[in-house]
Amino acid sequence: MKQDLIYFLPELIVSITVLFLFLLDCFIGKRSRRIFPVIAFIGIAAMMLANKSSSPLPSARFFSDMMVFDHVSVLFKYIFGLAGLIAIVIANGSHELEKVDKANYFTLLTALVLGMMLLANAHHFLMIYLSLEMVSLLSYILTGSLQGSRRSSEASLKYVIYGGVASGIMAYGISILYGLTGSMTLTGVAEFLRMNAVSKTALYTSVLMIMAGFGFKVASVPFHMWCPDVYEGAPTPFTAFLSVGPKAAGFAVLLRFFFGALSQTTTSGIEPIKIIGLPALLGGLSIATMTLGNLAALQQKSMKRLLAYSSIAHAGYMLLALVALNAEAVTGVIFYLSVYLLMNLGAFLVLIIVGDQLGSEDISVFQGLSKRGPFAALLSIVMTVFMFSLTGIPPMAGFIGKFYLFGSVIKSGHYTLAVIGMLNSVVSLYYYIRVVKIMYFDEPVDGRNLTTPMVSHASTVFALALLTIYLGLFWNGLANIVGQAKLF
Amino acid sequence: MEKIVSYLVGHCEKLQHLPEDFIYLALQVVAGLLVLMLFVAPFAGIISFVERRIAARVMDRVGPNRVGPQGIFQWLADGVKSLLKEDIIPAQADSVLFRLAPYLVFVGMFAAFVVVPFSSGLIVADLNIGIFYLIAVTSIVVVGIMMSGWASNNKYSLLGGMRSAAQIVSYEIPAGLSILAVVILSGSLSIQSIIKAQGAYPWQWFLFQNPLMPIAFISLFIASLAEGNRTPFDIPEAESELVSGYSTEYSGMRFVFFYFEEWANLYLIAAVSTALFLGGWNLPSAVVSWAQTKGDVLLHLLQFLTFFIKAMVMVFIIIQLRWTLPRVRVDQLMALCWKYLTPIGFVVSLGWQLGWLYFLRECLWSVM
Amino acid sequence: MQLAFFYFFSGLSILSALFVIFFRNTLSAAIALVVTLFGVACLFGLLEAHFLAAMQVLVYAGAVMVLFLFVIMLMNLGREELLKIKLAFLGIIGVITGVCLAILLVTRFMGLSAPLLSLDLGVEYGTVKSVGKLLFGEYLIPFELTSILLLVAIIGAITLARKPQS
Repeated sequence: MKQDLIYFLPELIVSITVLFLFLLDCFIGKRSRRIFPVIAFIGIAAMMLANKSSSPLPSARFFSDMMVFDHVSVLFKYIFGLAGLIAIVIANGSHELEKVDKANYFTLLTALVLGMMLLANAHHFLMIYLSLEMVSLLSYILTGSLQGSRRSSEASLKYVIYGGVASGIMAYGISILYGLTGSMTLTGVAEFLRMNAVSKTALYTSVLMIMAGFGFKVASVPFHMWCPDVYEGAPTPFTAFLSVGPKAAGFAVLLRFFFGALSQTTTSGIEPIKIIGLPALLGGLSIATMTLGNLAALQQKSMKRLLAYSSIAHAGYMLLALVALNAEAVTGVIFYLSVYLLMNLGAFLVLIIVGDQLGSEDISVFQGLSKRGPFAALLSIVMTVFMFSLTGIPPMAGFIGKFYLFGSVIKSGHYTLAVIGMLNSVVSLYYYIRVVKIMYFDEPVDGRNLTTPMVSHASTVFALALLTIYLGLFWNGLANIVGQAKLF
Repeated sequence: MEKIVSYLVGHCEKLQHLPEDFIYLALQVVAGLLVLMLFVAPFAGIISFVERRIAARVMDRVGPNRVGPQGIFQWLADGVKSLLKEDIIPAQADSVLFRLAPYLVFVGMFAAFVVVPFSSGLIVADLNIGIFYLIAVTSIVVVGIMMSGWASNNKYSLLGGMRSAAQIVSYEIPAGLSILAVVILSGSLSIQSIIKAQGAYPWQWFLFQNPLMPIAFISLFIASLAEGNRTPFDIPEAESELVSGYSTEYSGMRFVFFYFEEWANLYLIAAVSTALFLGGWNLPSAVVSWAQTKGDVLLHLLQFLTFFIKAMVMVFIIIQLRWTLPRVRVDQLMALCWKYLTPIGFVVSLGWQLGWLYFLRECLWSVM
Repeated sequence: MQLAFFYFFSGLSILSALFVIFFRNTLSAAIALVVTLFGVACLFGLLEAHFLAAMQVLVYAGAVMVLFLFVIMLMNLGREELLKIKLAFLGIIGVITGVCLAILLVTRFMGLSAPLLSLDLGVEYGTVKSVGKLLFGEYLIPFELTSILLLVAIIGAITLARKPQS
């Protein structure tokens, strides 16, 4: 067990940071609350360093098969760490969070990062359930952290109710799966399913039920209902994190579940365990998810709701890769998630900068943004980059991400799905470009100019935009790193 | 138990057709009922008389002295009277829950007696999780009390029920922590093994085992008083504010159930303290070997007497306390639990563990 | 004998679970839930897991449900508030789904062979010792994770419930 701690070092660092912050809260006065984001930042940065140093280690299962260490988990920890760091920068100094208790906000945010890391490494259903609950619980709390705001409390309540039902169904599904296979570990399930024949209907039902929990986390149809309301009600800095962090964690566990428990690696590649209609089920889910997300996004007036539906649509694209269920799919999902992290956080950050100053989160707030002074003109360019990237237009990183995703789907022979995915991208063009259009071609409703925000916000948004373009032009480096990722 | 079963099976033809575990179960039920009828019920009755007499003494009155010599049959008369009384259920009450609540309280309390020992052999069931079972089962009483408070549809009852529940749930923590200290010492949860781990003489009792144990004993004592709603923690039924708390609307036999629970609980508190801290039924080995020559019955009788006398001393202390101390306020009650007893409980149980670790290290050093 | 008890207690839990759903009065529903949890505890007892059974009674029937009752009493939820919510359509769908699921489970698991279920129980099985060894050995990480989860939940609940700073 002592040797296992090497694999656990990143998680250990974050746990210690969380506990330290909790204790610090008891001893530190109201004046020096500024130290909390700094410590949280340092803790997560230290985690990423530890993660880097642990990356050359060979894959292993540790803590008596409870958790697994492999390259995928290392990559996911990078994604979570980056999302956490950016979320801390965004939240620090946001007007919306001014009245929120900083100490608790940043501590709980760090704990959320911990939950996501554990979820990405989980190999035992107990761990999956517990860390999923940890991520969910903290998401509920942070969603409702705007005290005195009805919208925030309502969003939190809706989230709790949906989340409770979803995780209840998931736990039931896990219990059925355990009853069928007698194993609680992912590889144990795969092993049993390879050796023995089980009732297909029961297996199918249990997979469906487990999908309820995972689908809820990634906001896939039919478990997406909470998404727009929660995104709208939650404080925007947290919405930004919610749209990338827990979603990435959800995909991490989806990958582990479908690749670890329901498929097997043979000499010819990864093959799904023969359950009738597993690709059909996932394909249907993903088509429904992306289509619904895109169609609903068309009619949104609030920017946050628009981004919420857009995030549902992106979840749909990534679910496509699970249909493919080949090695390229893992690469595709992780690559897409890292790119999506950059562009979506960037879009939210622009919204926060604009919204904080103009006092609204409707799309109309972007009307004539480019004409609101020099900084606003620069910001409009940045926003255009993010919007193009989210659509998947060539020189941006989003295009490369979609390329990898659809590439894996085509390679597995599901041409129809790939075509539907591309058609959906075309639909999404309409609402992303509309934002760009009103920024440049509409006139601002009033004469207010945008002033330069805090340095941290401005530099982060530009860095994100530059990275988005950079990865669109020179994607090889990242693609190579991600391409080596293998699930254990 | 095996002896009895084999005797029964050997002597009764019809029993041979029944599965063996069924006989065991039936025997346990019978034994349980016997304990109830022969011990708990008369004890609760007599203790009610004793308590009233002591109360009278403290208050410089005479107390009940009419029924029988010195009034010792008063409890029988009271019991018969309450059986004959009309069972009133308020019209606005939730009648199902109202009826059910006293039974729940009663069952919770009575089920705890299953693991209470009387001698080295006299125990209904020596479960390997004995003391833990006791804590668990008595927590059912809370549900019953809350039910009665709610179902009465009376604000005094409701307040009393909620106060009681808050009190019992809170004080379960310091009680559990003190018990934990004993469990760490004895290495077992079974009450009989805990008693066996002690000896007959006071210096062999867990009470004086190490300097932390008296603290654990006192905090367990306070916590059990609070859990049993005894004075000075009887705010759930504070008659000056709440009439009679959760039992306000009850009458007749149902009312008696609540009081029965209280007096049975009195013995339970005393028995648990005796078993965990005061050496239980342990006798000096000379006495044991002497008694064994005269037969097992004598041995068990002596052990029972030892246990019972210790328990009775505790019972009298509790009764005296009731008529000595004033009632605490709700906030004082909660402050005592969370600010004092719980931290003390942690110090006691964890402190002992740390000490034990230290001791272990010393041993390792000496071995190496 | 064991089987008879099993059917009795599982029947009890299922029946009271149904009552939890169908009782209009929140308090009655909560009490029915206590019975369900108690029935489950008895099932644990039948499976020789005495410690788990006591734990179930202590934690769920004793502590969690008391808090439930507390909240119900404090909020004073009566019948009227609940009657407003009518979910007839969804209710029918729910019943159909439930029945389908029940049929599925019964038909699929009835034929399941015993080897999975009849494990060789040692003498230690179900004792505090063996449960403790499991919790602090094989299941150490989930155990510790649970404690962090609970800590975080407590702090989060306090954060949400605290009055906004003025």
